[in-house]
Amino acid sequence: MGDLDGRIREMAEKKHIFTPVSEKEVTRAIVDAFARQFIEYVESDCLIIGGGPSGLMAGRDIASKGVKTLIVERNHYIGGGFWIGGYLMNKVTVREPGQKILEELGIPYEKAVKGLYVADGPHACSKLIAAACDAGVKFANMTIFDDVVLREGNRVCGAVVNWTPVNALPREITCVDPIALESKFVVDSTGHDACVVKKLEERGILKTIGFGAMWVEQSEDLVVEHTGEAHPGLIVTGMAVATTYGLPRMGPTFGAMLLSGRKGAQVILEKMKKK
Amino acid sequence: MSDFIQPIPEAIDLYEEGDLNSLDITQLGEYLQEKTYIPFRIRGNVYKRFSKKRIEKTSRELAGIRVRDHGKRLVSGPPFQAEVDYEKRRISDPGWKIFGILYEGILYQKIISDLVIKGGLDLKHCIIFFTNQLFGTWNWDNGRYHARVSLYGFPSLISITGLVEAPAKPKDFYLKKQMGRPVAWLKEEYQGRFLDHGDLRTTEVLKGYAMQALFFHLTGDPFCEDRDCRLFNSHWQEEVLHSQLNGRHDFCPRHDSILNQLRGRDR
Repeated sequence: MGDLDGRIREMAEKKHIFTPVSEKEVTRAIVDAFARQFIEYVESDCLIIGGGPSGLMAGRDIASKGVKTLIVERNHYIGGGFWIGGYLMNKVTVREPGQKILEELGIPYEKAVKGLYVADGPHACSKLIAAACDAGVKFANMTIFDDVVLREGNRVCGAVVNWTPVNALPREITCVDPIALESKFVVDSTGHDACVVKKLEERGILKTIGFGAMWVEQSEDLVVEHTGEAHPGLIVTGMAVATTYGLPRMGPTFGAMLLSGRKGAQVILEKMKKK
Repeated sequence: MSDFIQPIPEAIDLYEEGDLNSLDITQLGEYLQEKTYIPFRIRGNVYKRFSKKRIEKTSRELAGIRVRDHGKRLVSGPPFQAEVDYEKRRISDPGWKIFGILYEGILYQKIISDLVIKGGLDLKHCIIFFTNQLFGTWNWDNGRYHARVSLYGFPSLISITGLVEAPAKPKDFYLKKQMGRPVAWLKEEYQGRFLDHGDLRTTEVLKGYAMQALFFHLTGDPFCEDRDCRLFNSHWQEEVLHSQLNGRHDFCPRHDSILNQLRGRDR
């Protein structure tokens, strides 16, 4: 500690703690790093729309196999609803066997009752984000999904995106055209909104059913069971699955989001192997 | 005058689908036989005898009768392939545990009827089908679907999941759930006041529902207004537990006399 205090004093006496760098260099560094990554990820193997728990889990599992993966998130923060459990309380619950994924990610948890586990929301969410980053997932946050890119046979091959703030302003002020990202597979992890699936519906290609109002204990199982390819090139995970297939609502538990993300990743990896 | 509108069946046929671990179907059959002197036959999984092609057809039919919006009467449309695949996996696995989709009950009954009844109405057998899946019927009064424990007809359908999900739990349970209290905690708090999945009381309770199915077959009326009779049409879990487990008698004097009549018949 003494040495550190001494060094800080010494640097302060020199009038600088940090190395002097001009504003233009800071700007160049940001633009350069962003542009290099963006150019590289204009084409990816897997493009995930929505950075909530199922999208993050899918991204983590896919990227850990060396697959080039980009997650598009409309907010500046990643993690969706995983920061907070029910009723604005920041404890998240998972049912057996969801806690195995918590263990795998090094997220501490405790048993609430038989088969139900509770973890700290911020800890769980930040660990999951870190796991996705460590696996090699890249992010385009503050980026909103606008449309799908379709190829022969209406196969989904990418997404049209824009800056989130552009989308939030009136069109008269912001005539900013979106841009397109291409990918071998697109994942709809946009939660109840099911934005990508809904866009296909708008085009008359697919028909969604909307999530049911009934609550039953097994809706988590049903979400995992129905996770998969809803349309050529489009994999649906998480609560978007419930919207697509009209499955019952579920309570504020996250096990299905994690397992659905994992299943979505498995489906994509198997399809890639076959190709 | 006889209470019976149909000939007394030669046998009670018990079919099933899915994981029915909490139901001891042999014990239930023995109860029916003891009460009616009509022999029972355990026919096993309803799908087991069918070809792959028929399973494919049935899967597509089942995928087409899912109730997606409980506030709208079902308009059947072409299902997603993922839904057909799900149904195929479900009905091909006799121990399938997952439930939660609400099926249109009348159409579900028709699909099962096509599987178990060949060549027109079979009144020689009282067919009861037990399932772990959930079905509901449209209520014209309030314009929405309601989950059901049973749907009586030819065949009669009884859902062990419906037994848990359909009769209402105590009002406070729902209020607390709406406030965000985890269901697992609520189950501990209200333990014993409603039937839960895998409940040890399931077989005993379902004996009464199977008797309702048999009464429907014989008399056209499965229910009784006496809440102490096992034929009482319960809408609350507390009523189910009372009429099936804690009633003053198994059957009210009127229904007991019909059973006596049945047992005393020439055989």
